[in-house]
This record gives sequence, C-alpha cells and structure tokens, in this order.
Amino acid sequence: MKSSLPTSARIAVVGLGLAAVPFFGLPPFYESFLYLIFSAVVLATSWNILSGYSGYFSFGHGAFFGAGMYTTATLAGRLNWPFLWTLPAAGIVAALLGVGVGAVVFRLRRLRGELFALLTLAVTFVLATIVLNTPIDGGQGVSLSAVALPKLLSSPSSTLYILGLAMALLTLWIAYAVYRSKLGTGLFAIHDDEDVAEVMGVPTFRYKLVAFGLSCGLAGMAGGIHAMFISYVTVGETFSIIVPLNVVLMSVLGGTRHWFGPAVGATVITALLYAFTAGDFPVAGRAAVGLILIVVILFMPEGILGRFIPRLEGRKRPKEAPGSPAVAPATLKGGEAKGETLLTITGLSKAFSGLQALDGAALQVRRGEILGLVGPNGSGKSTLINLVSGHYRSDSGSIVFAGQDVAGLPAHRVAQSGIARTYQIPRPFLHLSVLANVALPAMFGAAALDRQAAEREARRWLEFTGLAAKADALPGELNLHQRKFLELARALASRPRLLLLDEVLSGLTPAEIGHAIETIRAIRDLGASIIFVEHVMHAVMELSDRIVVLNHGKVIAEGQPQDVMRRPEVVSVYLGKPHA
Amino acid sequence: MNFPSWTLLGQSLLSGIFIGSLYGLLGLGLSLSWGMLRQINLAHFALAFLGAYLTFQLTSVVGMDPLMTLALILPCFFAFGVLMQWLFSRFAISPFNSLLVTFGITVIIESLIQWLWTADYRRMDSVYADMKFKVGTLYVPIPELFTLLIAILLSLSTWALLRYTDLGRALRASAEDGQIAAAFGVNEKKLALLLSGFSAAFAGVAGLCLALSYTLSPSQIYAWIGVVFAAVMIGGLGNPIGPLVAGIVIGVAEAITMALISPAWAPLVSFSLLIIVLLTRADKI
Amino acid sequence: MKLITSMILAATALLLALPAAAAPSGPPIKIGSTLALTGPLSATAMIHKLTGEIYVEELNKRGGLLGRPVEWTVKDDQSKPDVARTLYEQLVTVDKVDLLIGPYATPNILSAIGVAQKYQKVLVHHTLGIPSLAKYDMQFPAWSVGYNPETTVPNTLFDALASTTKFPKTIAIVTSKFPSVYMMSVGAREVAKKRGVKEVLFLEWEFGNKDYGPIASRVKDANPDFVFVGAIGMEGNQLLDAMKKIDYVPPLQFFMYPAPGPLAKAPGAEHAFAASIFEQHPPFTNNPTAAAFVKIFNERAAKAGLPDNSVETQAAASYSTWQVLEAAVTATKSLDDKVIAAWLKKNKVDTIQGRLRFDGPSNFGDDLMRIKQVQNGHWVTVWPKEWAAPGVKVLAQ
Repeated sequence: MKSSLPTSARIAVVGLGLAAVPFFGLPPFYESFLYLIFSAVVLATSWNILSGYSGYFSFGHGAFFGAGMYTTATLAGRLNWPFLWTLPAAGIVAALLGVGVGAVVFRLRRLRGELFALLTLAVTFVLATIVLNTPIDGGQGVSLSAVALPKLLSSPSSTLYILGLAMALLTLWIAYAVYRSKLGTGLFAIHDDEDVAEVMGVPTFRYKLVAFGLSCGLAGMAGGIHAMFISYVTVGETFSIIVPLNVVLMSVLGGTRHWFGPAVGATVITALLYAFTAGDFPVAGRAAVGLILIVVILFMPEGILGRFIPRLEGRKRPKEAPGSPAVAPATLKGGEAKGETLLTITGLSKAFSGLQALDGAALQVRRGEILGLVGPNGSGKSTLINLVSGHYRSDSGSIVFAGQDVAGLPAHRVAQSGIARTYQIPRPFLHLSVLANVALPAMFGAAALDRQAAEREARRWLEFTGLAAKADALPGELNLHQRKFLELARALASRPRLLLLDEVLSGLTPAEIGHAIETIRAIRDLGASIIFVEHVMHAVMELSDRIVVLNHGKVIAEGQPQDVMRRPEVVSVYLGKPHA
Repeated sequence: MNFPSWTLLGQSLLSGIFIGSLYGLLGLGLSLSWGMLRQINLAHFALAFLGAYLTFQLTSVVGMDPLMTLALILPCFFAFGVLMQWLFSRFAISPFNSLLVTFGITVIIESLIQWLWTADYRRMDSVYADMKFKVGTLYVPIPELFTLLIAILLSLSTWALLRYTDLGRALRASAEDGQIAAAFGVNEKKLALLLSGFSAAFAGVAGLCLALSYTLSPSQIYAWIGVVFAAVMIGGLGNPIGPLVAGIVIGVAEAITMALISPAWAPLVSFSLLIIVLLTRADKI
Repeated sequence: MKLITSMILAATALLLALPAAAAPSGPPIKIGSTLALTGPLSATAMIHKLTGEIYVEELNKRGGLLGRPVEWTVKDDQSKPDVARTLYEQLVTVDKVDLLIGPYATPNILSAIGVAQKYQKVLVHHTLGIPSLAKYDMQFPAWSVGYNPETTVPNTLFDALASTTKFPKTIAIVTSKFPSVYMMSVGAREVAKKRGVKEVLFLEWEFGNKDYGPIASRVKDANPDFVFVGAIGMEGNQLLDAMKKIDYVPPLQFFMYPAPGPLAKAPGAEHAFAASIFEQHPPFTNNPTAAAFVKIFNERAAKAGLPDNSVETQAAASYSTWQVLEAAVTATKSLDDKVIAAWLKKNKVDTIQGRLRFDGPSNFGDDLMRIKQVQNGHWVTVWPKEWAAPGVKVLAQ
C-alpha cells in the first residue's frame, strides 16, 4: 500500500490523537464508552491473529480473556499485587494456556475448522468448571473494589481509558506487524492449504503456536484491565458462550483477511449494541441488531473491509514498471559436481492401515540428471514423493539428501534443505495472488530470501514459465495449463537442488505437453536434479536420463530408458496398459 | 464416603439417559444440516425453544393436547427450514458465515419470544407431566420416556431413510460430492431444501419435548449450545444415530459424576470427553 | 455553589409546592437507573420497571419531589456489568441526572456503586445479594437483609422451624454456585451446625446445570428431615420437578431465591419455605400505601403479560428504594448527595417492608427477611409471628 505515511506511523498518530481525549474535558462517559470499544477491538483483533490469518477459528477466546481476568482478580484482589503488575502476569498466564493447548492440538493435522472451534470451546467450559470449583473463584466471585487503581491520569475513567487505548494500539500494531511479516505470510498460506505451506518450508506448527500465544496473551492482558473495569468477576459472566460468539461476529463482520477488519467490526457492533440501550424498545433493538447482522453478512460475506479494501487497493496498485528487466533465472546448481550422488534412498517402507505402499524401495539420484520414476497406479510413486518431501514419515529406511538424513525431518525442514515438489492436481493458495504464491517458497524454502528479493525472484520464474502477465491475478482465474506452470514456478522459486515433479503433464493437451517438455528441459539446463513421475511415456523416454520402475512398492528395474522399458518384468507390469 | 445405593445409581443412570436423549434429539437436525449442507445452524436452538413456547401456548391457552400441537408446528417449521436454506443457497453462504447469519436469526427469535411471552419463566401443565411408572425401585417418568422413544424413532428412521431409499442415497451422494451427484441427475438444490426443512421440523419435535419436561425462559436458548455441539461432534457430523448415542454417553457420564462425586464437576467430565474424542479420533469425525 | 443553587431551587420549589397536591412545576428532577431489560437477567427487570413507573406516576400526582416533576430515565444494561458501568457514567456525566437508583443483580449493582463512588453520588439499590462487597459509604440498600444475611436469614428460618413440633435433626444443603445464593448456602451450613442439626448431604452444582435427576436422587438417598435448596430463579423449580419424578417430597424444604410465582404453582411445592420481605396480605397490606401499590401493581403486571402478578420481595424492594429516596429528599429538601447521605445514616425510613435504618456496617441495617410458606398453592408469610398472615402458622408436613 502506498501512501505518505507508513501504517505504523499512522497507528501512532491516531493513538496520540485519542490519547488526548481525556484532556478535552469531555464528560467521562465518552471515555468509558470508548473503553468498551477498545476492549472489543483488542479481543477481536487478537483473535484474528491466529483465527483470521490462519483460518483456525477459535471459539475459546473467552477462556483466555477469562484467564486474564481471573489472574488479575487473584493477584490484585486476593494477593494484593499492584494492579499494573498483574497485567503482564495476566498476559503470560493466558499465553501459556494458549501455547499449552496449541502444543497438543496443533500436532494433529486434522484438527482444523469446526473441530478446532469445538475443542477450544470445550477448553473454555473445562476451565470455567475448574475455576468455579477451586479457590480461584470458589463460587462467590472475586471483588476488586478494594484494589487501588494507579493514578496515571486525573480520574479513574481516564486511567482505564488510557490503559484500554494503549492495549488497543499495541494489539493493532502487533496485528499489523504480523500481517506484514514472514509470520503473517506463513499464516495466510496455512489458511489456504496447510500441507502445501509446510511442504514449501513454512514451519506451520511453530507459526500457529506463536500466533496462538500472541493472540491469547493479548486477550489475557485485556482481560486483566477488564476485571478492573467491572470490579467484580464471576464465572457465569466470564466464561459465557456469548463472549466468543461476539468476538467471532465482530471479526467476520469487519473482515478477517485484513489486520484492521476486526477493529472495524468491533467498533460497529459495540456501537450498535450500545445504540439500543437508551431506547424505550430494548427488545426490538436487540432484534434489529440481529437483522442488521444478517443483512451485512448476506451482502458482504467477506466482511466490511473485505468488501471495500480490494477496491481501494485496486486503485492504488502500482502499475508494472514498463520493460522491467526479465532477468534470466538464477542457476539451480548446487555445490556438488555433476554426476555426484545427491539423493540416496535405501530400504524405504511405508504402510497405510495394513496396505504396504512402499516396501523396501531403494534408488539414487545423481546431480544434474532427470530420473524418471514410473510404474502402474498404486505402485508407490506418489508415496515416495510424499516421503521424500517429508509429508509422510516413513516406517523404516533412510533418505540421505546431500549427505544429510532427511527421513523423519518435518516437511518444512526438508524444503529448507533444498527439496521442492509439485502436485499432480495443482494446489495453489487460492486467496494469494499468483505472485505471492510464487514468492512464498522463495521466502520459506531453501533460498530463504527477504520479501522484496523473493518477489523479484518470483517475477523471474513467472517470466520463465510464461505467467508474468498473470502476476496479480488470483489462482482461480488461471486455466489448468497455467496452474500446472504455477506449480512449477512455485517449486523453482525456492531454488531447489532436487525437484520432485508429480505428473505435471497429466490433463494437458498434446500441444501443452510439448511446451511443458521444453520447459522441463530448460530447467534441467539450469542445473537442477529432477525426479520425474509421469504416465506420459513418450515424455519420460524423451526427458529421463535414467528410469526407475516401481511395482507394489518395490523397485523392479533401473537403468537407461530404452533398455529398461524392454525388460520382460517391466513389460509384463505394463502389459495391456495404455501408455498415455 | 458411603457407597451410593443401587437405586441412586440406577435412577441417575436413567436420568442421564433421558437428558442425553434430549441432547441427541436437539443434535439430530443440527448434525444433518452441519454434515450434509455444511451449515452450522445456531438457530436450531432458538427454533426448538420457539417450538416449545408454541406448544406451551397451544396447550395452556388454546387447550390442545401437547402431542396434537405438532400437527400445526411441524409444517410451519418445515417451511421455515426450506426458506432458510433457500436464502443460504441464494447467497452462497460459507459454513462460518452460516453460523453468523443463524446467530442473527437466533437473536431475532429470542427477542420475539421475549416480546410475546416476556422473559419470565413458563412451565407447561399437561396431562402427561405427572405420569410415571415404576420398575423395581426405579421411577420412569412418561414425558422423558417419550423423549427417549421419539429420539430413537427419529434417529433410526432418518438412518433408514438415508440408507435404504433412493431419496436417501441421493442425499448422501450430493453431500459426498455435489458435482458428481448433479451429473447423475440428482437435484442437489431441491434435496438441500428438503433436508433443511426436515432439520427444522426436528427442532419442532425437540421443542415439544423441552416443553413437556422443562421450565422455559428465552435465555435458556444459549444454555444448550455447548453440550449439544459436543454430542453432535462426538457422534460424527451427518450421522443420524451418532448424536443420540453420544448424547446418551455424555448424559450418563454427567449423571454418574453427579451421583458419585459432585454435580459441580459434571461439565468437566462431558467436555473432557469431547476433548479426548477430538484429540484421538479427529480423523474419523 | 451547587449546594446553594440547589438549596435555593429547593426552597423555591417548596414555596411553590406548598399546597401539597398542587401540580408539580419547574424543571424536572431527573432520576436515572439501568435495568437488565434484555439478556439472561431480564425475567426480573420487568418487575422493577413496572414498579418504578408506578411510583413515579404516583409521585408526580402527589406533587412531585420538592414541588418539581420527576422524570425517570431507565436504560437497558443488557444484563452486563460493563455496560451497566458505562451507562451509569453516561447518566451522571452526560444526562446529568440528579439522583441515582441501582440496577438489578449483584454484579451490575457493584458496577453502579463504582460509578457512584467516583462521582460521589448517593446510590439507593434494591437487590444486592452480598452486602460485604458494598464498600462505598453513600450506597444504601433498600432490600433490608442486614449485613450478615448468610447468618441471620438461616437463623430466622430455624426459629420458624423451632416453632413447630418437628424441628429437623438432619439437613441436606444443595446449592447452585451462583454467588449470592452460594454465600447463603455456605452460611446455612454454619448455622445448622451451631443449632445442632446434622448435615447429611452438601451438594453444589454449576449455575446453568440441566440435569437435576441425580441431585434429587442423592437427596432422597440421604433422607434428611430438611432440605435447604440454594437455587436462583428456575433452578428451584427444576429440582422440585426432579424430586417429584421420583415421588420424593422432603419432610421440610426451603428455597433460597426461587422464582416465587412458578414455584408456588409447582406440584410438590406445598409447604415449601422461602424468604421474603413482603407478601401481599395483612399485616403488610394494613399499610395503606402498600395496599394501594399492590392493587395497581397487580393490574399493571397483568396488563404487561407477566405470568405472576403479585407483589413480593422484588417489587417490594424496588418500591422501598423509591420510598427511601423520596423520604430523604423530602426531609432534607435537598438534592445534594452528601446531605441526603448524612440524613439517611441518621434517620429511619418507613417503607412497605417495614422500618429501614442505615447505621450498621456498610449502611446495612436490620435483617427484615421473613419466612414464607406455600399453603394451599399460595405464598403466605408464617414467621416471625407479628408478620404472619392472619390465622396462619408454620406448618410442618
């Protein structure tokens, strides 16, 4: 986004302006009312750092907010800590709680979407029960009316206002910083396709954990302030299901794909709810809030900012500088000499619930060669790719890549060590532009470039694959042929030393296949080593330096293409099977 | 601590089964629309309570038999479900947005209930309220038994319908893969309308059972969400038998905790159960 | 300055208003409060709203306060203490109301007390369940439960039981962990012990519990002479239903803070006890003010569609709040908070629940809670004797 002031500075200016409010002599009510908005902004924005960015919708935000409230209530209300000192403690307790939950939950690949939402909701209720039945609350609530509020400003309202404001600014700034950072990019990739993100080098587990920790910590600190604001904390009120519902509502209404969206939603909903407190028809007012909510979601499914920001950005988007240099792609040569062994697989086995997909497979890839990997459907080719890229963990066997055993490493570490792959059915990040799709592996993969360098690198590979004109498009706008090339560009942008191509030619027309073969040859000429899994036999024969044939998870033949395909055991495997 | 009597254990077990069957009944429609239409329908709870209030009104004021009220309520609710699905498909609502839209509907229904019946507590007097019989030393109240039976009946017949009829096969096919089902001539949109209608009608039935056994107030709408969601999730989305089985497991686990330890710890048991199931069986839900 | 102005205003108003029933004139006196008109606490808010409206209407008919008309601003705190706090701040600093009246329910009242303290306003409130949390010296409880209701109320209850031939030997205490209720149940435990009643069961459940079957079974199994139920709102009904379903009626049973209307009508509630500060029968209604209020409240409540139209603790506490405020303003002829507070601490106020004083700890006075019992499907006060309905006495099963 281009403008005269960087966003951080704008946050600071708005913050300073709001910080002056207590000195204008407005009735303190406005401070209290704004405090309610700030509190909602913190809750919704902090929720968004994990849930909006990465798509892990949490229904447990009330638990972390509540953990903060009870931390302050306990420390200040019962143990007589000074109030301000309890706030970091509240943040830490909530963050630790979040990280603890995350450390268990994020290890499980399938615990996403509704399952994650339900799980976090369950955590809320479990926490509520524990707090209620232990001396933390015990059943009678905790009162903070005797706790001294430090005199930061002249009146208590102003003090809470300033604390709320500081908290809101901090949260917005963190949300913005994450949004702009590598962490944010990784989280957005996780949102679209977590497996692919991991395979492209995003340390998904760690990123989710960091985001969850930040999200919960901020909510916890806000909870600490809020405990003071209401001055009497009870379990029923604190851990009510209404809290997470409201938080989700605010964020989605504002737009979860933008750092500022939840703040907009929080402001709108808080103001809207407040608007009906004075009226003579509170019940009708409540119904009106429900109706407004329905209408907004129906007509702005991406939220308020989701609807308006793309238009603004569309206007502001800088035009491509004319004649931007189509720099030749970097070389993909590694340090090894040509012909040296790059990858050695021995005794690799993997079974899926009894089905032996790979059974002691062994092969080698030499530097600078294209190794054709063929075999009938179900012979274990895809499993082998998934094992080498780290998506699955092998049952036994070793995968030594450039002298290092990568079997058992998490996929992102494998990617960072210089292995990249494509998917047979393209799996682009649907909400990221084509350019961002390609820049991501350049940032997270072996190349580990910073954002600007990664985007330059991405443009080179888009040029190389003929997608330069589509850089700003979303993947949904591409046809299959272009998506296949997007897969290629993504794999190449990480500057891999070993490239795993999984049926890049399937589904293409003969003319497109010809084009693709040219491209793959060009890649090899850049010095890459390639494992080429393919059913289009003439392409395999044309491109491969060597061929390995898999059947029932075992290597049954290996050698020069012409030679191997003539062997009787290979012929019998392929007998009667069409080759293309 | 004395070991509790067998009567206490048996009676608590029954109590758990009965409330569990209500969890299951509330969860049935929710699970179907969640699993097969990808709708997280919060309004299901509000609808059930609206049904309960309507049953209360028709019984206490108009003087109908509570069971007869279904003849009026079910068609209206079915129509409401169809209308809601029409709205959702017209606007192509995503699952999480469906949660928010139905939250909006919930708030509106809650306001409507408060406006018509005030926020004060309502308890339906019916001829069935006091009916019960005894098996050995255990009491079996008729309204709760009715809830259990109707939950079993609806769950089983939904299951049979999905499994053995052409309509059911078409429904499952379009839930698995809408495009392929459409290619085979399945009218996905029409089926979704039908399913949503049934779902809402099930809420009406659950409403009747609520009115038979419980004291009503508008804010009670929110009290059931957590535990019923747990039953739906443990039972498996889209599985018509699952919510009932899971509901009864939760109900019994809570009841036994209440009988042996302390009622205050009961929520810990049910939600820990949910957490354990999610952690160990996430792949199978 | 403000004091002088208001005193002059008050004096002028008094002069103008001298013929007692003259129509009020001058700028209105603004009284502000919030109530939980929506949200989980809204079942009770309607009672307080009706009572306030009736009172203000009557007050203006009588000539208003200090000869000026009274205007009541009531806002909806949506049952949330943070909203209550902000609304009271708005009432004080933007709407600039002259006087405050408290909201409903302990957490919201504590929010309001916080605001009142900040602006040194008098706050008369009607439903604070935990007196020890009220730390501000210008808050005045109009629901007169004394400073230690957790001890005094159970004692009154046991006194009532002692007047029968069936004083319990064993007690089961079952309670919701709703703060104000829980406090009373814990207190009742102590009192029972001191009075030699053996505790055979103590059970707690989380507020919002749905399955009362096992609790009922455990009570039945423990077979106590007396069951003390700490249950807020409909919880009492739910437990009663569950006990009825296993054909169990405790020999004696007491409910802390039930929803009175539904409870009295519930099967199995006959002879159940509860605490109350007011019931609409003599001797309470011997007070003509009370009788008049009961009559009009019954009408209005029926018109508003409330299922239970009778005046009991909630409406009476609410009415008393207004009486306390009116008495103090009229006596001091002042709207100055300090003056009003000083007067209240020194004087007693006659209300429909009895004579209130505010000179105890935290401005709490006497515990005026009486014991009532369901007899023939209606609540009647049975203890202490001087407040019992004519010809009625404590009945044991």
